[in-house]
Amino acid sequence: MSTKIIELGSHQLALEEPMYFRVQLEGDRVADLDVMPGQVHRGMEHLVMRRNLYQNITLLERLCSLCSNSHPSTFCAAVEDVAGIAIPERAEYLRAVADEIKRIASHLFCCAVQANVIGETTLFRRVMEIREIMQRAKEAIYGNRMDLAANVIGGVRYDLDADSAAYLAGRMEEMKKPLDELYLQYENNPAIMARTAGVGVLTREAAREWAVVGPVARACGIDYDVRKKSPYGAYDRLEFEVALQTAGDVRARNLVRLAEARQSVSLIEQCLDGLPAGPLCADTLPEIPAGEAIAKSEAPRGELMYYLRTDGSDFPVRLKWRVPSYMNWDALKVMLKGEPVANIPLIVNSIDPCIACTDR
Amino acid sequence: MSDRTSPASDNLPLPLSTRERGPETSPHPDPLPEGKGIVDAGGGRLYPDQFIHNVAAALAGAAGEQTEVAWRRDRKGVLTGWCRLPSGVALLPAARAVAELQGRLAMVTAYLPERAQEKGEREIAYHFDLDGATLTLTVILPLEWSRVPSLTPIFRNCDWQERELMELYDVQVVGHPDPRRLFLDHSLPHAPFERLVPYSTFTNAATSKALWDKVMAGAREDA
Amino acid sequence: MAIHEPGSAAEPVGLFRINTGSCNGCDVELAVTSAVAEFDVEQLGCRYTESAHEADIVLVTGPLTVRAREEVLRLHAATPRDKVTVAVGVCPVSGGVFRDSYAVDGPLERHLPVDVNVPGCPPRPQALLEGIREALEIRRARREGSEPTRLPGDRKQPGKPGTDNFPARGRLSFDAAACVDCRMCRHVCAAGAIRFEERDESVRLTLWHNSCVFCGLCSHYCPTGALSVTGDWRLDHRATDAFRQIERGEVPYAPCAGCGEPIIPAAPQLLHAAFRRPNPEIEKLKNLCPTCRQRMSIGVPRR
Ligand code: SF4
Ligand code: SF4
Repeated sequence: MSTKIIELGSHQLALEEPMYFRVQLEGDRVADLDVMPGQVHRGMEHLVMRRNLYQNITLLERLCSLCSNSHPSTFCAAVEDVAGIAIPERAEYLRAVADEIKRIASHLFCCAVQANVIGETTLFRRVMEIREIMQRAKEAIYGNRMDLAANVIGGVRYDLDADSAAYLAGRMEEMKKPLDELYLQYENNPAIMARTAGVGVLTREAAREWAVVGPVARACGIDYDVRKKSPYGAYDRLEFEVALQTAGDVRARNLVRLAEARQSVSLIEQCLDGLPAGPLCADTLPEIPAGEAIAKSEAPRGELMYYLRTDGSDFPVRLKWRVPSYMNWDALKVMLKGEPVANIPLIVNSIDPCIACTDR
Repeated sequence: MSDRTSPASDNLPLPLSTRERGPETSPHPDPLPEGKGIVDAGGGRLYPDQFIHNVAAALAGAAGEQTEVAWRRDRKGVLTGWCRLPSGVALLPAARAVAELQGRLAMVTAYLPERAQEKGEREIAYHFDLDGATLTLTVILPLEWSRVPSLTPIFRNCDWQERELMELYDVQVVGHPDPRRLFLDHSLPHAPFERLVPYSTFTNAATSKALWDKVMAGAREDA
Repeated sequence: MAIHEPGSAAEPVGLFRINTGSCNGCDVELAVTSAVAEFDVEQLGCRYTESAHEADIVLVTGPLTVRAREEVLRLHAATPRDKVTVAVGVCPVSGGVFRDSYAVDGPLERHLPVDVNVPGCPPRPQALLEGIREALEIRRARREGSEPTRLPGDRKQPGKPGTDNFPARGRLSFDAAACVDCRMCRHVCAAGAIRFEERDESVRLTLWHNSCVFCGLCSHYCPTGALSVTGDWRLDHRATDAFRQIERGEVPYAPCAGCGEPIIPAAPQLLHAAFRRPNPEIEKLKNLCPTCRQRMSIGVPRR
């Protein structure tokens, strides 16, 4: 059989962001691949050391716009840990609301892109229209459709009054039916099944070995969600089940995402129902002592981890983070092995890869 | 926390394999059963002392008796363990012990700590997930000619972490299967995160200055 | 020059996107302008193309990373000579929050000619459409061999402040009368969008809207509300006007009521923030320099 090496860029991979793959083919099947990141490397971990902790709230929100709230909220949690700040309960709930709105929009974007990749243009447009409900809600409440500017050290800087809470509750109601329908469609529609079931399989064992995280791991039956395993913010008071699938294929990954999006609706409703009264922020300008801390969260793509080290000044000595996508790229080797070239864009998009996050 | 050993003993004489104590020769407690034992009936976190004991015993067995883990429990009951390894040689056996405990490598952080130059030291922190708890193993290395063994043979997903570490810092990862640059463009100088590299050559805010000069000039025309 | 006229129903204007290393915010919003009916570029007679040769308008996002530079320049060079180039978001114009990184080689203008800027971070789809419309006008004018005639700002029709129903985070507004020169805004601004200058008679604040990412953190930390976020998001402009997109105000010095040194008097907003209901005794403090303030406080007889 003939072996050949091809190079694929974002256009061939149907990615929104620049990324290159070197794929080794045996005949028309994938034998191996080399992922070549770095196009979106903005030197951010270096920049954060030359910006103070306040500036870093805004800078980190621009790491990636799809999970933009997870970064400042997790970073702030690390600062708060170093400073020994307990954020007000109301702020915990409001951070969860912001994170869950972003999760719905992010998961829907991923499912939409995949519909587009397999030529289901009508479905693609439909998912994007449903996602628009969230985009509008974000703009109405936070003033921007992508970057919410919701977090500050010590809490949040937005509030939900009776009107905006009622507005958001209305949008959640509006989301339920379409999300339920989408789930059924991605689960049972024969055309979608034909392209996604049994495609790009990652077994549970391989998932462990490659240490994948987030929906990619949960689609292989790995019961790991940071919101449950290492509860933070309001999540220890909210009810939800970890969304799990077992097939480990493209379809399973989408079903996990759609189940989670539906669950996020419920989480937001729980937050709105139980929103405690009280202040939004603990202390406007706290002293940040020398110290180190780890903060974790479940970003839309999975486990996000921050390490912060401070020396008593308001510039970090080191601020390091590891995004979920970082853990998932390499496992594409397993998912793509033996797959026809035509399936590459679909499988790559099925891990919902974020390049801005990965490259930093 | 244990005392740091002298910088001399941090100088890794490589290869390590002949000198290290393999975890298989040390007594090992049972690894944590997956998803069990650390959630109480109310769904809150409850790490039994057994868990802390297991980790401590495994690390002491692998990396030497002086190895101690300081645990912090946050308001939600989530544990973070902090362990400064007594020497660089202890890294491989300690990492193996964590692997035996079903630990997952979560992140690797290299950094130049406060007064790095003065002390002639740098640190690398290896963060592991133990079913929700985070264990950080920190090695202290000499600032110059730093070398660490690759953990990629133990944790496959350490591959990228180590490639990144090697391009950003002046640290050699010994035994890495594929030590190519990962994110940095080839036109950029090696190890941009070293303070030893003069910042001014590539991060001197020249762009900001040029742009603001134009903003000020442009605004003057208006006035 | 092409004889037939793209832009007619038969041949839509081709839009070509180049991502130079963005956070993907601008790109995801551009995707919306091809997927969501309300914002579809079709309404402007445009359509996205995957081929550089079909680019009538090039939409560039991101701060231009060192690693992406070569490919970006290659792609841009492959587009037709008479295309119009639009910088989407503040990143290509100023680097936004990423400016001065070792891995960033912007601004874009240093490498290729830019015609239109669409500030925002990311700009909302409505703003993207405005920017594309502006590019279409430039394109038409160039084809006719005339100068684009539209006066700056004439799309901001009275009665429609550009906020629609929602208070979108738009341009920042500065009220010099409330400013106490604490410079907290500059301290917290990740984008380096705020400058203070000491002048003879005053301190002057300049905020550049091509650097600002509209996060509102300055306004959040401003103790007196001197900086506020407005809903005005219509900020697209010709690239030649890039450096004039500023908000500016002067905070005059006044002589200290004690010693005559020039000082910035404390704004009433600050006294209210600090004391809730300042009494005349406290009011006196606002016109004193720190040294005289101390002297006065220590000199005040205790009751
Ligand atoms: S302008 Fe803002 S949203 Fe657009 S790419 Fe830059 S950081 Fe991202
Ligand atoms: S809103 Fe204020 S803090 Fe944020 S980027 Fe603009 S000037 Fe800076």
